[in-house]
Amino acid sequence: MDLSFYTQEVAPAMLRGLWVSIGLILPSAVFGLAIGVLAGTLRVYGRPFWKRLSEMYGLLFRGFPLLVQLYLWYFGLPQLGIYLSPFAASVLGFSLCSGAYHAEYVRGALRSIKQGQLQAARSLGFSRARAIYSILLPQAIRRALPGCGNELIYLIKYSSLAYMVTCIELTGEAKILASMFFKYLEVFFVVGAIYLALVSLASWGLNRLERYVSIPGFECVRR
Amino acid sequence: MTRTQPVLRLENIHKRFGDAEVLKGVSLELFKGDIKVILGPSGSGKSTLLHCINFLVSFEQGRVFLREQAINPANKPELYAYRQKIGMIFQDFNLFDHLTALENVQIGLVRVKKIPKLQARERALAELARVGLAEHVSKYPAELSGGQKQRVSIARALAMDPEVMLLDEPTSALDPELIGEVHAVIRDLAAGGMTMALVTHEIGFAGTLASEILFMESGVILEQGPPDRILNHAQQERTREFCSKIARLHKRSGETA
Repeated sequence: MDLSFYTQEVAPAMLRGLWVSIGLILPSAVFGLAIGVLAGTLRVYGRPFWKRLSEMYGLLFRGFPLLVQLYLWYFGLPQLGIYLSPFAASVLGFSLCSGAYHAEYVRGALRSIKQGQLQAARSLGFSRARAIYSILLPQAIRRALPGCGNELIYLIKYSSLAYMVTCIELTGEAKILASMFFKYLEVFFVVGAIYLALVSLASWGLNRLERYVSIPGFECVRR
Repeated sequence: MTRTQPVLRLENIHKRFGDAEVLKGVSLELFKGDIKVILGPSGSGKSTLLHCINFLVSFEQGRVFLREQAINPANKPELYAYRQKIGMIFQDFNLFDHLTALENVQIGLVRVKKIPKLQARERALAELARVGLAEHVSKYPAELSGGQKQRVSIARALAMDPEVMLLDEPTSALDPELIGEVHAVIRDLAAGGMTMALVTHEIGFAGTLASEILFMESGVILEQGPPDRILNHAQQERTREFCSKIARLHKRSGETA
């Protein structure tokens, strides 16, 4: 076994790819969550137009395969005169797709909160929007956290699709390297391990977060 | 005390839910310090009436006046300002589950009244002390008993400086042992001259507290008058039947007001 292959070739390529991957994942996670909270809230409490719109959004972006969405953003939009960089197309695709899934978790969580709290807030003089924002959402987000966390972990892995629209991230670097040296087994095993490490780190962080925001009545299970 | 103008007046409220007409023209006047207790069977519209008073439920016809000013619910700032003057207590407390007792009382002051946080905190602590919860201010709803939760909700309403309190079966969801502590708080409010409309089935409590009892059935006020007259010498057969049925029930369960 030739260790220098790993130190000379694999390590630098993986490091390069890792940074691109992280660069894709972080903004997609943030935008995806923001879109998801907004769409989920509108789905439950929006006026009919917004409710319908967020329903359509969920249907479309959970219905089209993610790869097809990425192709549309990167290869399709130029036909309309809109040119996105591979990176921008990927972040857009990931954010919109993951937002559609987050919306479902947020919607479920909002539904699980008794309507009485909204009434109580309004009886104190809160507007509906303010009551939703400052009373219902803080509770709903706590309840949606396990589901949304799952979606974030999933995002880490589907970020690998970016290389299909020529955004060379971790998987893309691996593909190039593996075919150059014809060492698929070694390279993809290393890549798999890196994703595993990222996912483990994210799960650990999410668990910490769940514990941090946990309050009586909204406990996470402690061991 | 001047009794020239009512604090709160309802004029001919009509409300339907689909085909069912739940309120068929209800009018009501609350003068300063009045305690009107609304009795009546389930589905008679008592609870809906209270919800109509602060427009948590919209209605087709009728008007609500605060100090003879008609409230226009389409004018949102006016509606929100009005709702602050009407404290509402719910059967199942409706505390904000993610906030401590203190934060529950404080949040309306900070977010709605825009009072500085420190000042709001002082006020919230005072209100919680007033309902006997000084030692429980940092507990979450999940850590409080039913009676304590209901007292937090009363403190939350009082912090907004309401002119009228609406209490919708405040003790119906409570263990018999916990009813007393909530009744004691309501009695304190009464002693302090608070104007109240109270829906309850505790007629013993109602009898000793009410300035007037209203008996509602099928969306109308069937009969109203001083407690003794409604509870013991009602004119309407239906009122007598209802009151004696409830009285028997409470005697059997050994209710103490």
